[in-house]
Amino acid sequence: MNLMIDILVNVIIAFLAGSLILGLHRKIMARVQLRPGPPIVQYLLHSLKFFFKESAIPRTASMPFYVGIVVILAVVWIIGVIVGPVSHGSLLILFGVYAIYKIVEHNAGSSSGSPYGKMSCVRAVLSAATELPLFAAIALIYFKTGTMNIGEIIAYQGAHGPLALSIPLAALMFFILILTKSPYSPFAITKAKELITGFETEHFGFLRGFLMFSESIAWYVMLWLFLTIFFGPLSAIWYVVGMIVITFITGFVNATTPLLNPNHSVMTQITIAGACFVGTLLMIFI
Amino acid sequence: MDFITLGGNSLGTIPLGDIVLYLTPFNLFLFGILLLFTVMIAFSKPEIQTEASLGGLSNTEVKVTPKEFKQRRFLSVICGLASAGAMITGDLFNFTLFMAFVGILNIGIVSAVKQTSVLNSAFNYGLIAMMCSLPLFGGAAIVLASTGTLSLFELSQMTASPMVVFGILLMLLGIIGESGVAPFFASKAEMFRTPGSPFLVIIHLSSLFIIVRAVEILLLVLV
Repeated sequence: MNLMIDILVNVIIAFLAGSLILGLHRKIMARVQLRPGPPIVQYLLHSLKFFFKESAIPRTASMPFYVGIVVILAVVWIIGVIVGPVSHGSLLILFGVYAIYKIVEHNAGSSSGSPYGKMSCVRAVLSAATELPLFAAIALIYFKTGTMNIGEIIAYQGAHGPLALSIPLAALMFFILILTKSPYSPFAITKAKELITGFETEHFGFLRGFLMFSESIAWYVMLWLFLTIFFGPLSAIWYVVGMIVITFITGFVNATTPLLNPNHSVMTQITIAGACFVGTLLMIFI
Repeated sequence: MDFITLGGNSLGTIPLGDIVLYLTPFNLFLFGILLLFTVMIAFSKPEIQTEASLGGLSNTEVKVTPKEFKQRRFLSVICGLASAGAMITGDLFNFTLFMAFVGILNIGIVSAVKQTSVLNSAFNYGLIAMMCSLPLFGGAAIVLASTGTLSLFELSQMTASPMVVFGILLMLLGIIGESGVAPFFASKAEMFRTPGSPFLVIIHLSSLFIIVRAVEILLLVLV
């Protein structure tokens, strides 16, 4: 029973904190671009609002995938919360969760029959080919600490200091992944403006609500994971400070950089991933 | 390194001679998700893909024909099951077999479509997959020759010799090519332009999950 309450509380925290941080991200981008921007709470209000909006299912949609895929997305990120903040479980499971996230980008786009979603779906294949190698930074953590268990990684850092200092290039790899998933990122090819909102374009009403709910949790889990595996052990205050600092950095970067075209985005990411992976291996073994 | 350190607490083992099937939350999660998607694929109908017509303002609707639908759904379900097998197998050779099977099925799933650009992409991917089957199986053979076993459980207890490292790196090359991740993605991405969302998702899902499982296997054998 305590575990269920723990999971519920953590999911609510992830949703609320993730929504507010995404709202802050929008605000920061607006202020950098000399616009007033929406209130910080706007993302949260939008997420809740969509659950009560009228829903419509396109005539061309692939059923039941069109509906099922957004529910799967919400479920896998709740699993992400359980494996991460709740139970401090295996990093490999979170790697799997991230892989499903890419699948949802792919299938949500293609299942509607919309050309915008379809283009986003094709780009999701390209981006997955480079984002998973970036997530492979967890293998470097394993080489350094000898464990994939988040709790043991926290304990390792308690004894030896933050991993961000001993394997900074692996931290950079993971940070690039976070930058990629941040809204309006230069690497966000699946949600480029020429695709309207990419794979989300044809999901309306409560389906969009599910997508926004999941994205809030995803953003929170990614930030939590980065801070935990590279800077842990941290107190709640430092988590808040860390998440705000990362949001400031990604907001500033995204507000001042253009969106890369898919080929440039993929090659930039894979070059960074390759260089950082080899560099970290050299730092660990030589 | 033992599999419990990688995938979480052991949920059970099935010893079949020296091949020990093991189940951790990590394997169970991947296996369960793949089965879920496979069931959904079996009961899904494909979308109608809307495309702009050249030289006019009208739209063109591209549909999956009933004959094509049956063939692609059958191959997609088999692909889902093969991928699920790759998630829980405790044997290195079985993993490579499932990987090669998934590669062939990926080509099969799009081979029934009429778009030449898609078929061309599938052909190019097929060439890469064929070439990569040599390092894939060759790597597993080298591991067997140098250790005398293909059991992941046994391999995880051994110290990796230089030949094992070489074999595993060859296998990694094979997996990267067969699953079409960077830098081989260029040959595969165009395959996704055809309609048939439920069938395309298993192509993508099988590749990504096999990469995730491959990371576990590599760490299990090397460290």
